Amino acid sequence: MLRWIRKYNKHYLMLLPFFGLYSIFFIYPVISGIYISFFQWDSVHPPVAVGFSNYINTLTSETFAKVSINLLTYVGIAVPLGVVLAFGLAVLVDSYKETIWGKIFRSAFFIPVMIPLFLTASIWRWLYSPDLGFINTALGWMGIASIDWLTNPKVMLYSVVIVDAWASAGFNMLILLGGMKNIPSEYYDAARIDGANKFQEIIHIMIPQLESMFFLVITYGFISALQVFDVPWILTQSTFDAYGGPQLGMGFPVMAMMARAFNTLKFGGAAAYGLILMIFILVITLFQFRIRRRQETE
Amino acid sequence: METVGDIMVRLFHGMTPSKIIKWIIGMIIVFVMVFPIYWVLCIVFADPGVSIAVNPYLYPTSLTAGINKIIGIFRETTIARAYVNSLGYVFFQVLGVLLICSMAAFEFALHDFPGKRVLFLIALLALMVPGIVVLIPTYLLVADLHWLNTLQGLVVPGLASAFGLFVLTQYMESLPRELFDAAQIDGCNHFRMYWSIALPLSKNGLITLAVLQFIRTWGSYIWPMVISQKQPSYTISQIVGAYNNVQQYATIDTIMAVNVMALVPSVLFYFFLQRFIIEGVARTGLK
Repeated sequence: MLRWIRKYNKHYLMLLPFFGLYSIFFIYPVISGIYISFFQWDSVHPPVAVGFSNYINTLTSETFAKVSINLLTYVGIAVPLGVVLAFGLAVLVDSYKETIWGKIFRSAFFIPVMIPLFLTASIWRWLYSPDLGFINTALGWMGIASIDWLTNPKVMLYSVVIVDAWASAGFNMLILLGGMKNIPSEYYDAARIDGANKFQEIIHIMIPQLESMFFLVITYGFISALQVFDVPWILTQSTFDAYGGPQLGMGFPVMAMMARAFNTLKFGGAAAYGLILMIFILVITLFQFRIRRRQETE
Repeated sequence: METVGDIMVRLFHGMTPSKIIKWIIGMIIVFVMVFPIYWVLCIVFADPGVSIAVNPYLYPTSLTAGINKIIGIFRETTIARAYVNSLGYVFFQVLGVLLICSMAAFEFALHDFPGKRVLFLIALLALMVPGIVVLIPTYLLVADLHWLNTLQGLVVPGLASAFGLFVLTQYMESLPRELFDAAQIDGCNHFRMYWSIALPLSKNGLITLAVLQFIRTWGSYIWPMVISQKQPSYTISQIVGAYNNVQQYATIDTIMAVNVMALVPSVLFYFFLQRFIIEGVARTGLK
């Protein structure tokens, strides 16, 4: 036993800083989060056990229905649109191979990814502005009436989609480009001998070969889109007591969770909110893995 | 020495109509990607008090006006303090993640010991749990430690990064194990093997992780919002958020001047480290 400890302790010693911090700042919060989600607690008064009522209150609240519909609509549009756009950009850049234009396009398309999301939102909030914003000015030049991007509840959701597409297309492009580089050129040569055109090459060679890259981009896209916060929060000038703009047009679950924690100081309720969201995300992710496995076995 | 003419010939060599159309599409997208940033600069470097109908901010009109706005921002607000806070946050976060994750990655990638597989799986669990779940409980923990509005409150909870561990373990797995066996026979102790052999050899992996961690930390909004809720401990992201707040009544010039200040580090970083950023994202598939 003593020899065993002497033999391996140096390894555990090196792991100690990581796992010490990991236990305190990840494992403990996960467990305490589950625990306090069954309590009513404002962090000042002693907590009161309330069973499942935090979960029931969350699921039956009016805002929950609204923000969930917003989220599903947003994710349903933003993720597929983002992947299609990124693929288009990647095809364009890839067609230039390693020439100067390929590098120029790749660098330029990636610029928005480097800009922090809070800053992107702070810039787009003004691009969307009804009287100062460039977008409505440009629409005016084309004789199109101004659009209330940030205040019309029918439009607001799409305003977030546009910002997201702008901010994340370059990132997904880069991942798809990496996959495109790994496709052996013999595949294309063979297709060309069979008389395939550029479009057929993309459909029959490139897309099937990129399957695993698409999977990565789509799953990662879902996980981050489901937690959307920075952009709608700043676009609607949200605070803890008023968020999401008119009729909660840009209200999303994480925003509702934050308001519950820091406006009404219902930390148990907020923890329950986070856990519901996590279950939601896990179900969607597992579902994607399922579909993928089924496709692979076919 | 290439002349401008040579470069033009090289750039536009062999263009056919279909290629020109493709190129024009590319340039339109470049415009869409770059314009918002250009527009910010046009607003900051514009004569104040000229109406939008006269100047729709399509080109900069006054260098001195812009410089005055930026100086004004530094004079009238706490942005300088926020800069110090943000730089401190980014610096210690990146350095800490590199140190702590590389130590653990060294063990996972290059050594065998009982419980290795289980520990690695436990660590990677964090990659599967969305960050939002632990946000509120971690905030409460930081509050219990009396770390709200402090630098350690911002930095310490993020140090044990599963993402960092994953990236570095992958890099270190490609190092030759024989090297470490030989070093051990020569009487090199365990920590020195890590510090003087493994770390220098994984330089590229460390740079990649540093770059990705910088982007994440500089761009983080919700975490500082929760931890640094009071003025003197605001980070840049808090300042940008606060200026966009309804109660602020800040004008577009002021907000854009603040935006430019937040933009500068990201742009410089991209300009100088582009190669590592692009390689890092392409290689890890995450940001």
